[in-house]
Amino acid sequence: MPTITGIAYKNLRRKRVRSILTVFGIALSTWVLVSLFGFNEGYQSSLNKDIDNLGFQVLLTAKGCPYEAATLMLQGGKGLRYMPENTLDSLRANPEVEELTPMLMQTVFDVNKGEDGGVVGYLGIDPVTYPKMKTYLTFRQGGWFQDANALEAVLGYEAGELEQREVGDKILIPEKNVEVMVVGILNRSGTQDDGTIFMPFKTMQNIFGVQDQLTSIGIKLKKDTDIAAYEEKLYELEDVQVVSMAQVKNTISSLVSTARVMVMSIAIIAILIAMVGVMNTILMSVLERYQEIGIMKSLGAATAHIFRLIWLETAILCFIGGIIGSGLSIALSKATDALIRYVLPYSPTGSLIRIDAPLVLRSIGIIVLIGLVSGIYPAWRAARIKPIEAIRSSEGEL
Amino acid sequence: MLKHLLLSLLLLLPLLLSAATGCDLNDPDNDVKRLFPASTGYTTLYASLQKSGGKTALANVEKALGDKFTGLYETIDVSYTIYKIYSRKTLIGYIHGVNQKGEYGGLQVFLALDTKGRILKLYYQKLSSKNAAKFKATSFTSQFTGLTRTDFATFDIKTGKGSGKVAAIKNPAPATDKDFLYTLRGVKKNLILMNTFIFKQ
Repeated sequence: MPTITGIAYKNLRRKRVRSILTVFGIALSTWVLVSLFGFNEGYQSSLNKDIDNLGFQVLLTAKGCPYEAATLMLQGGKGLRYMPENTLDSLRANPEVEELTPMLMQTVFDVNKGEDGGVVGYLGIDPVTYPKMKTYLTFRQGGWFQDANALEAVLGYEAGELEQREVGDKILIPEKNVEVMVVGILNRSGTQDDGTIFMPFKTMQNIFGVQDQLTSIGIKLKKDTDIAAYEEKLYELEDVQVVSMAQVKNTISSLVSTARVMVMSIAIIAILIAMVGVMNTILMSVLERYQEIGIMKSLGAATAHIFRLIWLETAILCFIGGIIGSGLSIALSKATDALIRYVLPYSPTGSLIRIDAPLVLRSIGIIVLIGLVSGIYPAWRAARIKPIEAIRSSEGEL
Repeated sequence: MLKHLLLSLLLLLPLLLSAATGCDLNDPDNDVKRLFPASTGYTTLYASLQKSGGKTALANVEKALGDKFTGLYETIDVSYTIYKIYSRKTLIGYIHGVNQKGEYGGLQVFLALDTKGRILKLYYQKLSSKNAAKFKATSFTSQFTGLTRTDFATFDIKTGKGSGKVAAIKNPAPATDKDFLYTLRGVKKNLILMNTFIFKQ
């Protein structure tokens, strides 16, 4: 004896083209839905990773210095200000601090860069604390400096390639005419470190004549520290400016929020279209089988049986569409990633689309649920068909 | 707001850096006018060994150069920018630059060439050297004027030995300064690439 599920499946196969088109529409909606959820998770996670890769949550700079790299780019390296190195001691006394890393940014004007010269920047770091905070930095060649006063440099991936340096080569600091040995070339990290020339900050203090001066201090806070409250506390120090990585995150998030709203709108429209499509397909199916449903009822099928049959057909369509759509979203995730990167003003490194099993199951669940809601009306109308009226006429009016 | 923009710029920096693989003029409008005073305009075209014969082209270039290509700026897919220079509608020459390893950093060696591939001017867009002023002096760069790819054919850029016009070029810096040989390698590479992309002789 055939089951209700078997009958529902057979009914869908009878109108194969219409069923396939409906499944295709549902699949497209699922693709959009899964990709959207995947984007929400992937973008946030990649952005967090990028921020974490900065190694510290708070950057303390001398007042007036917005941020060393930005200063370099926008002011030609002429806006650097300093804070005394003993600021480190004040910060170490704070119980919220897990680790500190001092930095000294310096720039020189290279008359041999282009026709009119150009600025070259160097970042002085502490070879002990900086690598601990930037654990993602790995070496293509060599390693970090041998000691805090070494006349040595480590080049980010891009800097190494631009200057065509290898370990053992030298670089020349223009203006100062000081030769520095390259002891390490970093692997590509996808961060600002790729374009940086690192040197021990003590060495840079000596070369540039800025003893006991720093341009910034990176602060890694202990877990569960109230960052906002700590930032307020930092302003008690004189002539400093606090840059929180949370600000960076908020800025980037606001940059992409418009794009996210647009994608969400498209997803909602796609789901609505799919709902209408499902409802239309099932209604058409009920209409065509008006007489057949009447006969089924006259042979003893209960109203609940008919309702279940029609509802099951909807569920099967949505389930198959959901699986195909999820497969599509996984197969096309790289293309979707590329498309989103093209559209967005800023994309973090790493995958923007993160699709995992729970997300796929959740999306299929949502699609099936939406389908079931869409199927209530056709199923209800089918269940209310009167056998005598249905048998008398070949087609019904719904 | 400004601070937020600056911080965003900081995060975007890697993207900007990763795009810098070719060797373009920093200020093309002024550089073209300076290298070709008679020019009235220019167009740019982009070429790569990948598109000009692939591995065969790379092998031919390496053979002609007498050295292997190494590093990010010496790969088969590096895009080279060639500036075609015009005086009204007449093509009067080309400008093409290459990246070349130097003693203290990367060199950017640009050549202004006539339509037959002869060097009109040598221009260092980037040069890190204690003797930079000597290398950039007209007394040195003018020694390259009139030279062609053929003149470099008998010169070994690894040993600095050879015959002909190239061998006669005087090193402006002490013999210990390797930038002289690096410059010759850059010029030879530049001429060979231009022959591959444009002159095809």
